[in-house]
Amino acid sequence: MSMKIKSMLVAAAALTACLTGCASAEDAPAEDAARQFYAAVQGRDGERACALLAPEAAESLRTGSETCAAAVVGLDLPGGDILGVQVWGDEAQVRMTRDTVFLHRFPKGWLVRGAGCEPRGDLPYDCEVKT
Amino acid sequence: MRRFVKDNALSLFFLTAFVLSLVGQSFAGHAAANERQIAEGGTAVSWVEYVTSAEFTVDVAENWQSEYLQFLLFILATVYLVQRGSPESKEPGKEGGESDADQQVGRHAEPDSPPWARNGGLRQGLYGNSLGLAMGGIFLLSWLAQSVTGTASYNADQLAQLQDPVSWGEYVVSADFWNRTLQNWQSEFLAVLSMVALSIYLRQRGSPESKPVGAPHHATGVEG
Repeated sequence: MSMKIKSMLVAAAALTACLTGCASAEDAPAEDAARQFYAAVQGRDGERACALLAPEAAESLRTGSETCAAAVVGLDLPGGDILGVQVWGDEAQVRMTRDTVFLHRFPKGWLVRGAGCEPRGDLPYDCEVKT
Repeated sequence: MRRFVKDNALSLFFLTAFVLSLVGQSFAGHAAANERQIAEGGTAVSWVEYVTSAEFTVDVAENWQSEYLQFLLFILATVYLVQRGSPESKEPGKEGGESDADQQVGRHAEPDSPPWARNGGLRQGLYGNSLGLAMGGIFLLSWLAQSVTGTASYNADQLAQLQDPVSWGEYVVSADFWNRTLQNWQSEFLAVLSMVALSIYLRQRGSPESKPVGAPHHATGVEG
């Protein structure tokens, strides 16, 4: 097999791998964002946790006089160890032992748009925090 | 240069139309994608990000595969099936691969015939089916590209709607994949049917895709 064909096959394989998930290189930042969000929640640092939420998700936690920071630490989000990460385009899902976290890639990085999520079969997850 | 353009005007016309349409699709698709992103609480993406996204490539690939399938089936079906009165068809009675003399292969090759038509065996077999093989190959690659980029695009939508992503194997048996595929196939097959059937009775003066204006409706395989 000529070098040209070989390099074309390698490029095609890389493109296929990238289009089907662009694995590891893209996973790490999303995983870090979920980890930092849970570190802030468990450290009861509501301000930090809210800064890691997508703007609409943070807004949804503000009710009456309660701030996002107070609400997010009061939710008792479950978290746990990270089991797996999937990144597709600008969306990501981080599966944890007791939660599934959804994130969106914003210009400033990955932010949480769904947390405290319970699966409901074919229906969307039911999330305590969502946009 | 002028001679080159004149001799290749048909190819150049469609190449230009293809490039302009693809560029137009990229700008219109980019604007539509950003409107949707912003409405869903996301952020706008650049044109470069959009044209390298699965969303754009699946839209391109799903149309390509259906066009190449259309031509593949048209090329192969017209070998074995005829339509009396259609300029797109051979005359009834000529169904099949035809004789070596009709096809100018082997010892029936002309001095200026392609070399592989003069050779026997595998090379003649390959060359004798090269148009179908090329169209079929591009169809399969485009369809594969549609399935791969479709998986990525579908999964981004799934995650945006707080739903689980699927594997490639799950995607190729999904309603989304077959909806995208069949909605393109049906329109291609209708277009071929229209061309085969309408050209029996209707004419386009000067077009080789039509019979001559005065040709009778029953004349088959006559191009004007």
